[in-house]
Amino acid sequence: MSEPKKRKKLSKRTDAAIEALKTQRLRWVMGISQVGVKIDEERYHAVVDNIMKDEIERQMIIGAIKEKGPMTIKELSETTDIPPDRMLRHIIALRKTGTVSEVGEKEHGYLYAVL
Amino acid sequence: MVEAVMEKAEFEPTIVAFCCNWCAYAGADLAGTSRFEYPTNVRIIRVMCTGRIDPTIILSAFRSGADGVLIAGCHPGDCHYVKGNYAMERRFNFLKDILNHLGIEPERLVLEWVSAGEGGKFAALIRNVTRQIKDLGPNPLKETMIEKE
Repeated sequence: MSEPKKRKKLSKRTDAAIEALKTQRLRWVMGISQVGVKIDEERYHAVVDNIMKDEIERQMIIGAIKEKGPMTIKELSETTDIPPDRMLRHIIALRKTGTVSEVGEKEHGYLYAVL
Repeated sequence: MVEAVMEKAEFEPTIVAFCCNWCAYAGADLAGTSRFEYPTNVRIIRVMCTGRIDPTIILSAFRSGADGVLIAGCHPGDCHYVKGNYAMERRFNFLKDILNHLGIEPERLVLEWVSAGEGGKFAALIRNVTRQIKDLGPNPLKETMIEKE
């Protein structure tokens, strides 16, 4: 990519980042109170609910693995009653933070264990 | 001939410094009255508290072509508004991540504590930051401004 093109792309990304910093979600994470801006209660609760649901489900996954040993995504989803598509998202997130890791294979799927 | 002269000219960065009214700005004032020398690359903006600086303003400074941004506030525990500098520190770490994510060197953003009595420290800080930004080179976003013109 040529230099002017790269710069243009970077400018666009920076503009997007400036706009992103104005969003309520990022401002909550950064702990910025918005003077004169009324908090959208509905949106606030939706975000908090989502975060809570994610965290609770992730702790359930960790608990299940600790209790029953390494499991595949299919087994985990049966044990915890979390749908497989959500389970996959959680496993990806937990792998990123280094909480779980693949330790082997079983029935064409990976076995995940808590590190 | 002009091009040759321009090429040889050393890169002079533009640094935007946000200084809090109670500590860093008074420190800058003291540096001036004490006749401490520091580079003229810095453009000081006085704010009441570093905690009042919105992160969008800092990113906008980079977007507008600032080569570096310095935030100078009261020492931890000395904030005039009790915990404004702690709020800034939290946002500072967040902003460094954003800059990194964008592909702008996070070292272009500097946070430092300067008290009202530290005129010498303020001058030394400006010297260090200017040197640091000079080593990094121009802000990758800067050229866009020229292209726009």
